[in-house]
Amino acid sequence: MNEAVVKNGPKESTMKVISKPENEDSLSIEYTATVGQPLCEEAKFRTQNVNVFYADNQAIHDVTLDVGAHEVIALIGPSGCGKSTFLRCLNRMNDTIDICRVEGKILLDEEDIYSKKQDPVLLRARVGMVFQKPNPFPKSIYDNVAYGPRIHGLTSNKAELDDLVEQSLIKAGLFQEVKDRLHAPGTGLSGGQQQRLCIARTIAVKPEVILMDEPASALDPIATAKIEELINELKQNFTIVIVTHSMQQAARVSQRTAYFHMGRLIEVGNTDQIFTNPSHDLTEKYITGRFG
Amino acid sequence: MNNTDLVKNGLKKRYLKERMFKLMGLFSIATAILFLFILLTDIISKALPAFYQTQIVLEVNIDAERLNLNTNSDEADMMNADFRLVIRDALLATFPEVTKRADKRALYSLTSMGAEFQLRDLVMSDPNLLGSTQTISFIADDDVDAVVKGSIDRHLPEKDRRINNQKLFWIDKLASQDQIQTTFNWNFFSNGDSREPEMAGIRGAILGSFYTLLVTLALSFPIAVAAAIYLEEFAPKNKFIDFIEININNLAAVPSIVFGLLGLAVFINFFSLPRSAPVVGGVVLSLMTLPTIIIASRSAIKAVPPSLREAALGLGASKMQAVFHHVLPASMPGILTGTIIGMAQALGETAPLLMIGMVAFIVDIPQSVTDPSTVLPIQVFLWADSPERGFLEKTSAAIMVLLFFLIAMNAIAIYLRKKFEKKW
Repeated sequence: MNEAVVKNGPKESTMKVISKPENEDSLSIEYTATVGQPLCEEAKFRTQNVNVFYADNQAIHDVTLDVGAHEVIALIGPSGCGKSTFLRCLNRMNDTIDICRVEGKILLDEEDIYSKKQDPVLLRARVGMVFQKPNPFPKSIYDNVAYGPRIHGLTSNKAELDDLVEQSLIKAGLFQEVKDRLHAPGTGLSGGQQQRLCIARTIAVKPEVILMDEPASALDPIATAKIEELINELKQNFTIVIVTHSMQQAARVSQRTAYFHMGRLIEVGNTDQIFTNPSHDLTEKYITGRFG
Repeated sequence: MNNTDLVKNGLKKRYLKERMFKLMGLFSIATAILFLFILLTDIISKALPAFYQTQIVLEVNIDAERLNLNTNSDEADMMNADFRLVIRDALLATFPEVTKRADKRALYSLTSMGAEFQLRDLVMSDPNLLGSTQTISFIADDDVDAVVKGSIDRHLPEKDRRINNQKLFWIDKLASQDQIQTTFNWNFFSNGDSREPEMAGIRGAILGSFYTLLVTLALSFPIAVAAAIYLEEFAPKNKFIDFIEININNLAAVPSIVFGLLGLAVFINFFSLPRSAPVVGGVVLSLMTLPTIIIASRSAIKAVPPSLREAALGLGASKMQAVFHHVLPASMPGILTGTIIGMAQALGETAPLLMIGMVAFIVDIPQSVTDPSTVLPIQVFLWADSPERGFLEKTSAAIMVLLFFLIAMNAIAIYLRKKFEKKW
């Protein structure tokens, strides 16, 4: 038994951490409350006491976290800590999993997205998503980007659609590379290009929030750098929630960082503070690479 | 002994096992190929004569008076005219020495019963032939055909032979005068069934099979794909759906004759649909094909990577749009392959069709799905059952046609799979 004490944290969030000394990977938590500043004044998303269950297994415990408007927030944590599950709650992607059950409140612009009135299709048009593995449709590059606008009827004629596709590809930094082969299959691009195509496809729908689930984990360092550069540009127009395995990436692209551990939100704070001066013992251990 | 020696000692045994396994695999494949080869050689060698037909060339005086016709005769008169008379005259003219009634009757049987219709059709298409003398090749009787093709042994004693010495003499004489010729048997592809082997053709059965499969495809493909999509993408996971799934798998294993009985009881007795008709056959075969297509379609849909669904849903596509725009096109190769395999199964199916009367002897070529007809495998069954020697080769020829269609369908399945297959 070893007792971890929270440094610099407010008194009421003191918690006990039990870990087996011989195997630090299986740190288990007896009780937790989030350290740091989970709340924002101008919040796009507010989540309040969110619990997620897969059948009888609880994957997320009592997470309360705000996502500020026009900020990039990074969700980090070891594998299986629930950060992806939490992300997928934000556009109700978990609805597709039968055994998944979400409790608590998630508000987008102060409206409950899990209420009966909320249409998941409309929600997903407002909250776009980029996945871990590039997943372009087996169609042409043009059709990939045009698919979202087409199903939502965002444009009224071909010229407008052409323009929207071009603008989206430009914003995703892909246009120069593919302008001569817009009708070539999207699956023929390289991994990094495919991922930027997926981002172009997402921003063509003009969402308010973009969720990114480890968007660069399947890419090489150069492609990753391009994606990160892209995220830095996109944050002017979109609110971005990004799940990442790479702490350097979180440090480079985000303003705020939330650290998840075993389904609990351990610490939230400004990215600088989290990486230079973490308040919680677990956060410190994770970012210094002692487990994860 | 160190590790290297231990491994070395075991190596020989391990490689021996591998060689044995390879040998066994090779042996089983060789056996399979051998039997396939024997089967195909047997069928093809027996079937080839069926594609050729013996004809007797006769100089016929199409005497209008003898036929009771004149230039004003209409079609009905022509239909009633006895064209046999002029053919008989022509035969008698070739063998003037035949005078006895019994001999004459034997002589007349050299040409097929179909010869008079052949002549009638010729005259009806060109009435100017009336009154002229024409050299026409008439279809020979199946016994003559057998002698010419050498399938009757001339050295057998006369009483054991199907054809007597007298007839053999006539045939030889005709042959020596170049009045016997062999041509490609177009009749086999243009005629319906017949009691006379030389007149029997496979067109009725081919069209019957075509109409039956048309009904089967039209019913089973949309229903099966819709069922597969519902079960894979929309159905809640509960006991009831599990029960349905198990029963679909069970249906695929039900003996096909049971479906025939069901068709008889439900479609013919209860709904009073016509007997022997492709429409009923098609419905019965769809019942049989449905589980096959459903199972194939479900596994094809299941094989579509979930990332594709997520991509569509993440963009705000409704579930229906995600399925119809992305999942279905991606699973099409598998669905089409399953469908064609199901259809090939249906094409070769005999038992259920026996129960709904498609086993009847039907001469007319079906013109629609409600006309009585038979199908290819049943035609094979019917001909194999017939005692006439000429049907032996027809049976093999019908099997060849059936196999040709099966191979063609499987080739289409492979082509479609290659064409629609996409890489992710």
